[in-house]
Amino acid sequence: MSFITYVIYFSIYVGLVGTTFYILTFIEDLKKEREFFTDDELPKVSVIIPAYNEEKTIELTLDSILKSDYPKNKLDILVIDDGSIDKTYEKALKYQKEGVRVFKQETNGGKGRALNSGIEKAKGDFVFTMDADTIVDKKSLKAMTRYFKNPKVMSVTPAMVTRETKTIIQRIQSVEYLTGLFLRKTFAALNAIHITPGAFSAYRKSFFEEHGGYDEGNLTEDLEVALRIQHHKYIIENAPEAPAYTIPPKDFMSLLKQRRRWYAGLMKNTWNYRKLFGKEYGDMGMFVLPMAWFGIFIAVFMIIYYAIKATNDLIKEVLFYKSINFDIFNQIEFNSYFFERIFFQITTITALWFVLIFLVMIFFYLRYATKKIGKTESLYINVPLFMVLFAVLFGIWWIVSIFYVALNREVTWK
Amino acid sequence: MRQIQSKKRYILALLIGTFIFLNGFIITNTILSIQFNRVSQFQDQTSYAIFKDKLNYELFNADPCTTDNFNKISDDLSYQGASIGDLEEKLGKNNNKVKFRKEFYNLVELEHFEYINDINRLCGKNFTTLLFFYSNQRNDLDKSERLGRLLDFIRSKKDNLVIYSFDINLDSEITRNLIKLYNIEESPTIIINNDKRLSGDIELKDIEENLISLKKVIVKL
Repeated sequence: MSFITYVIYFSIYVGLVGTTFYILTFIEDLKKEREFFTDDELPKVSVIIPAYNEEKTIELTLDSILKSDYPKNKLDILVIDDGSIDKTYEKALKYQKEGVRVFKQETNGGKGRALNSGIEKAKGDFVFTMDADTIVDKKSLKAMTRYFKNPKVMSVTPAMVTRETKTIIQRIQSVEYLTGLFLRKTFAALNAIHITPGAFSAYRKSFFEEHGGYDEGNLTEDLEVALRIQHHKYIIENAPEAPAYTIPPKDFMSLLKQRRRWYAGLMKNTWNYRKLFGKEYGDMGMFVLPMAWFGIFIAVFMIIYYAIKATNDLIKEVLFYKSINFDIFNQIEFNSYFFERIFFQITTITALWFVLIFLVMIFFYLRYATKKIGKTESLYINVPLFMVLFAVLFGIWWIVSIFYVALNREVTWK
Repeated sequence: MRQIQSKKRYILALLIGTFIFLNGFIITNTILSIQFNRVSQFQDQTSYAIFKDKLNYELFNADPCTTDNFNKISDDLSYQGASIGDLEEKLGKNNNKVKFRKEFYNLVELEHFEYINDINRLCGKNFTTLLFFYSNQRNDLDKSERLGRLLDFIRSKKDNLVIYSFDINLDSEITRNLIKLYNIEESPTIIINNDKRLSGDIELKDIEENLISLKKVIVKL
C-alpha cells in the first residue's frame, strides 16, 4: 500500500469513529432534560439589525421579525444603519410606527461597531443579532429565548438554513447548511459550539457588559464572540426548532470571497484562542476541535493530491486518445465481460463502501433537518450537486484562505 | 475545568467505528474471494476447452478446421488476463494464489498459441498472433499500460488477432524460458506472428503497419 492509501484509510477510520461518537452523543442528548422559560417567563429581548446598503432586503427582514409570535411588549427592534448610501435608512424609518427604533451612523464603521452600538442601546436583557437579509420563522425568537433559563447559557444559535437558492452554487450551500443542523445540535450536546452565525444568533447581554462587546477590528467578529464565550467556559446552546433563513452567495467568486473571510477569520481566531485545545475544555478541547481541524487538514491534503493526480491522468488520457485518433468507441470493448469487470472493480474498492456509509449518514442528517424545519428546497437536485462538488469547493476555499493568511494578504468583507 | 462527558461513549465509538471499518475490508475481501474463485473456475473451463480441441485432433485425428470458437476463447482469455491483473492489483503481486493463477494463465495462453499456429498451418487460416511482454515495475509501468490499451484498441477492430500477454517479472520457469526463447531485453516488447519485433515506445501506426505488411505476405502466398 502506498503512503496516500494509508492516509486515506487512516482518515476514513478517524471519520468513522468520529461520526459514531457524534451519533451516540446525539442519541444520549435526546434523554437530557433542559430548563426552558415558559411563555409567562419570557424576558424582554432586543433584535439588533445592522444594515449597510440593504435596501432590497431590509423590509423583508423587518416584516419577518414583526410577524414573530414573541410578545410584542417584550420585543425591542433596532436597526443600525451603518452609513448606507442607498435607501436602507429611509425604508427602515417607515417601520418606526411599528415600534422599530432606527439609528443612523454617518460613516460606515463595520458590522462590529454597528452591533456594539446596538447593544448599548438595547433595552432587553437578551440580544438577537440579525443580518439585514435574514428572515426568521415566527416561532424562532421564542424557541431560542427559552434556552436562556439556564443562567450558564450565554448564546443560542438557530437552525441556520438557506432561502431563494437558484444557482448551482446556492444549491450546494443549501445542503451544506442542512447537514450542519445535526452537527450543530450534537456540538451543543457536547458544549462545543464554536461558531455563532452572524446572520442570526442570540446572546445574554450581560456577557457583553462583563467581557466586552464585539471585536470591531475582527473579520469574523461573530466567531470571535463564540470562542470568547467558550473561553470563559459558558454554554452555547442550539435550537434546531428555530429556523432562520439567509440568502447564500450566488456565484463562485462571491462565495469564495465569503469563505476566504470566514476561514481566514477562523484560522486567526482559533490561533488566538488556541488554549481551547486540550483537557481543560473537555470534549471540545479534546475531541471536537482537533477533529474539525484534522478534517480540514485532510481535505486540503486530498484536494491538492487529487488535483495533481487528476491533471496528470487527464494529460495521459488525452495523449493516449490522440494516439488512437480519438476513436473512443473502439477503445472500449463492450463484450459480455465488460460490465462484470466494471462491477468487480468498483465493488472491491474498500474506500467506496465507506463513502457509501458516509452518504447514508448525510441522508440521516438531511432527514433530521427536514424533520426540524419542515419543507426544504429541491433536495433531489441539490443533494447530488452537493455530493459531487462540495468536497472540491471546500478544498479550494481552504487552500485560498491558507494562501491569504500565510502571505499575510488583506482579507476584506466584500 | 470542564470534564469529558462520558469516557464510555468514546470507547463505544471506537469499538463501533473499528467494527464498521473492519467490515468494509471483510466485504471487499469476500467479493475478491468470490471473483478469485470465479476466475479460477473460468480458467479451468477455458483450458479444458483448449486441451480438448487440441487432443482431439492430435490423438484422435479430429478435423481441427471445423471448430470456430476461436473468438470466444480469445475473449475469454483476454477477460481472464485482465481479471488476474485486477486481482494482482488488489491482493498484491506476492500473493501465492494469484501468482499460481497467473502462471497457469500463461500456460493456457501458450497452449492456445501453439494451437492457433497449428490451425493456421493446417487449415490455411490467417490468425495473427501477438506476444506482448510487459512489466509492472515502476519504470516501465506507464509504457506497458499504454501499450496494453493500444493493443486492446487494435484487438477490438481486428477479429483475427489473438494477443497473449506475459509479465516478464513473474517469477516462474515458463516466463524465464520465454524471455530466453524470444530474447526479450526490454519492456514492453511485442512479437507479431513469431516474426516482427517491436520494443519501447510503440505507436499505433507502428503496429498497424506491421499488421498490414503481414496481410500482404499472406495474400501473396
